[in-house]
Amino acid sequence: MVKVENFEVPEGLYYSNDFSWVKVEGDKVRMGITDYAQKQLREIVYAELPEAGTEVKQNEPYGTLESVKAVSDLVAAVSGTVEEVNAEAQSQPELLNEDPYVKGWLVIVKPTNLQAELANLMDFDKAVEWHKNQGK
Amino acid sequence: MKENLMAKRILVIGANAAGVEAASAARKKDRTAEITLVTQEKTAGYSRCGLPFVIGGQIPSFKDLIVYPSAYFQMLKLNLKTKTKATAINTEEKVVTVIDKSGATESLQYDSLVIATGADAFMPPIKGREKQGILSLRNLEDGEKILEAVQNGAKSAVIMGAGLIGLETGVAFIERGLKVTLVEMLPQILPAMLDADMAKLVQEHLQEKGMCILTEKRVEEFLGGDKVTGIMAGGEKIEADLFLSAFGVRANTKLAVDAGIPLGESRAIKTNGKMETDVKDVYAVGDCAEAPNLITHKAVCAQLGTIAVRHGKVAGANAAGAYSQFPGVLASAVTRLFETEAGVTGLTAVAAKRAGIEVVTGAISSKTKADYYPGALPVKVKLVVEKESQRIIGAQIVGGAEVTQRINALSFAIQKSMTVRELAKADTAYAPPLNETWDPMVLAAEMILMRLR
Repeated sequence: MVKVENFEVPEGLYYSNDFSWVKVEGDKVRMGITDYAQKQLREIVYAELPEAGTEVKQNEPYGTLESVKAVSDLVAAVSGTVEEVNAEAQSQPELLNEDPYVKGWLVIVKPTNLQAELANLMDFDKAVEWHKNQGK
Repeated sequence: MKENLMAKRILVIGANAAGVEAASAARKKDRTAEITLVTQEKTAGYSRCGLPFVIGGQIPSFKDLIVYPSAYFQMLKLNLKTKTKATAINTEEKVVTVIDKSGATESLQYDSLVIATGADAFMPPIKGREKQGILSLRNLEDGEKILEAVQNGAKSAVIMGAGLIGLETGVAFIERGLKVTLVEMLPQILPAMLDADMAKLVQEHLQEKGMCILTEKRVEEFLGGDKVTGIMAGGEKIEADLFLSAFGVRANTKLAVDAGIPLGESRAIKTNGKMETDVKDVYAVGDCAEAPNLITHKAVCAQLGTIAVRHGKVAGANAAGAYSQFPGVLASAVTRLFETEAGVTGLTAVAAKRAGIEVVTGAISSKTKADYYPGALPVKVKLVVEKESQRIIGAQIVGGAEVTQRINALSFAIQKSMTVRELAKADTAYAPPLNETWDPMVLAAEMILMRLR
């Protein structure tokens, strides 16, 4: 885990331009939002997530996060079928602020085109550079 | 994202406090609308109010003032066009013409339009005002220019105008080691914010810190060749290395006026409770818009960041087809000048008299901690009460600390129509390191009750 301008960027994850992270776990991937994203949104009060079985597509919205101040689409970092939804994050959205990379994960997806799509994402080194250029 | 042909098009002209707030509120109410912001500035979503504190060195860099980085606009799907100037509004066709940084003209269609064109620094018709080197502090580039002048070795500054911008920047200059002379036409500093008795406390503090304050002096002329080297004020010649014009700001209404959108009695854009102008589907917010004062019910153009975001939130919701009302303005405001804080809410005694309201006032000097507790600082609370109803209609506080939250408490009291009799019995908190047993707000109310007997 490194901190870039006060934003946490863990190693071993892939990152999208839409502020999502992806963790490859065997033949599945876990997705969530970055520390940078939760800090922009501030206190998240509502997480609208898809049901298990929903098809998601890379770069397309699959849900919504709403804070007191803002509202933002969740944009899928990879394509596939949602296998599991983090019910805890849905009922306690503050987990997204407190622990965006572990307890605040959002969905587990069975990917359909993982290797090709991972090439569109940033690895750790690229994500560190990207965060440096984001502004606080 | 798939294009939605039925999506509502919401256009916002201006992308700072009021504009960004309006766009964000619109997005919260409408997830599919096409929301576009245009600003002629190169930077959007920054805090103007923070500019003096970068000059003073408390904030390391101007880019720290950016409240909304480009990621924020991306996350909310707000289409931001910087360095893009709106040149005309056609309210019949619902089109705004803009010129982008390359000089290309574009016509932007809208279903709802939010005008957040802000205000511009005002320069009175003073002889020699076309000379170079007369600076003002309104936007990021102004701030950079002023800081550059300071860092290039300016040793002295003349500030014209004793409002918040003039004083906060004057303090910043002194903190940077400059000799500062402040010139004000009226007999007191902060004339729009404080009554003379309260302003005097602030003035004395500033003078102790080395600011030379000349009141009742009108700037008559700018001296020098192409570049300004001095001013004539009240018959006196004052030379300096740096000149800051802080005469105040004027609502930037040209675009609206040219489009036939009416102004109100404050010369800012006229709005109703939804922040909608007299033209349907066109809203106006922030420093260019007016709204009623909660006490006088007269339209005012308060030009505060707090009011701008509240305007924006209401207009944005309405522009997106939801419903929201702006309740009105008390113009609560605070500032910190060296170690003195000053705050106001509601009307000053002078403003009340001007509005034809008869008032009784009371002022109590107290301490921020128990008198015997080390480190207690002075704090003075002045209340303004309407004579017949005995309602509190204004408050001013000057002190070493604890000003902001007392102003907020009194703002709530005014908004809930609290009478001075109720305030005199109010329950307040105390511990020796934090307050006196009788809060000065309560004692000031007691004083007014005695005067009303």
